[in-house]
Amino acid sequence: MQFPLASVSFWDLALCLSVAIAVFGSLIGLVIFLSLEIAHNSPVPKWRPRGSPIHLLLVLGSGGHTAEMFYMLEKTYMKEFTYRTYVVSSGDNFSAGKAKAFETQRACPDDNYNIVTVPRARRVHQSYLTAPFTTLQCFWACLNVLCGLHPDQRLPKQYVTPYPDLILTNGPATAVCMALAAKLIRLFQYVSGFNSLLRSSATPRASRLRIIHFESWARVKKLSMSGVLLLPLADTFLVQWPALGGLRAWWGMKRTKYAGWLVI
Amino acid sequence: MKLCFVTVGATASFEKLIEQVLSPQFLETLAERRYTHLLIQYGKGGSEAFSSFANGKQSAHGLTIGGFESKPSLDEELLMTTKRGDQEKGLIISHAGTGSILAAMRIGTPLIVVPNPDLADNHQEELAQILQEQKYVVSSSVQEIRTLVVARAELQKTQIFDSHPEIQDEHAGFMSDDLGFLD
Repeated sequence: MQFPLASVSFWDLALCLSVAIAVFGSLIGLVIFLSLEIAHNSPVPKWRPRGSPIHLLLVLGSGGHTAEMFYMLEKTYMKEFTYRTYVVSSGDNFSAGKAKAFETQRACPDDNYNIVTVPRARRVHQSYLTAPFTTLQCFWACLNVLCGLHPDQRLPKQYVTPYPDLILTNGPATAVCMALAAKLIRLFQYVSGFNSLLRSSATPRASRLRIIHFESWARVKKLSMSGVLLLPLADTFLVQWPALGGLRAWWGMKRTKYAGWLVI
Repeated sequence: MKLCFVTVGATASFEKLIEQVLSPQFLETLAERRYTHLLIQYGKGGSEAFSSFANGKQSAHGLTIGGFESKPSLDEELLMTTKRGDQEKGLIISHAGTGSILAAMRIGTPLIVVPNPDLADNHQEELAQILQEQKYVVSSSVQEIRTLVVARAELQKTQIFDSHPEIQDEHAGFMSDDLGFLD
């Protein structure tokens, strides 16, 4: 009797394995591609009554990113956003301080805000070898924040879900992690929505976790690294210089929108 | 009070710029232009250059001279260059750092940008260049600052700045689009 596996050579096995990996990989790739494509091309469902509570989540990058974020918020009508969650990277006291100062200076200080800390995705000068692990850590923390599982979070009861309605980012790496986490949750919601679709509910579904990214004012002709990564992820991508308007991740995707100077 | 505020950024020193703005010719030019104060944020490792070029002097040519390394926020210093009360509109001289350019433009003080030749950063240079082209800032080499202060008595860039269409007054709209209101 001959053991059948013995006749399979190493190269046969390697070939089978690589074919399997290639098929599996391209399937995953196709799912990601399609879901990004669908997300970018479906209109925003009209479901929200005016005056309903809105939870805004703001990702504060660091130094210049944080400064630009608050320059922009100073000129934004904030009364709509009845609850604000500020996400800062660990060790970034500057951003946390700015958030506190902004909240105390606001016209109606209602104290409906929270500052949560997530691990830094990549420190300045950190090796690219260890960066994937710290990025994964950051991504996990972002996922927790979006699901309201971060220990510092205590959202008032009138908010029916822990998911923020809107995510506002302007880079860098933490923003990419947050956008990815939001997209993942939305993918799960979309897939689990299929069976309720069969039961034919006519009311449009609540859409949350939408991402607005605005590129730094300092970016004149070329998007930043985080900007390139966020191009297929953000629902609205704003740029502040005309040369960056109308860009898109690939064919069929949403284009960037030139919004003028948001920070001045 | 009329202040000339010089900032070189927090991360690196810009010795040549510090030397230039503390030179007797430059101080004299400032005094001629009725400046009363010169304040220098000299950055990491710049204190030696500052004290050696200032020569321990607290004032020269009728100018009060001061300096500090860096601060988390320069808002207070920048606001001292704006027109309010008995304060006259001053001048900001900055390395091409994005943060300081943006902060200076927001308060509308004339700005001279002096890129540090030892520290080339691509996108910062791009920004300084386009702002120079559109006449928001004046770009200068270290040697030319004095002639710029002489030539442009008032450096009134802010008038162009006030009327530029690229500046938005209110931008609440773009966030509503993603909220999906019923009406």
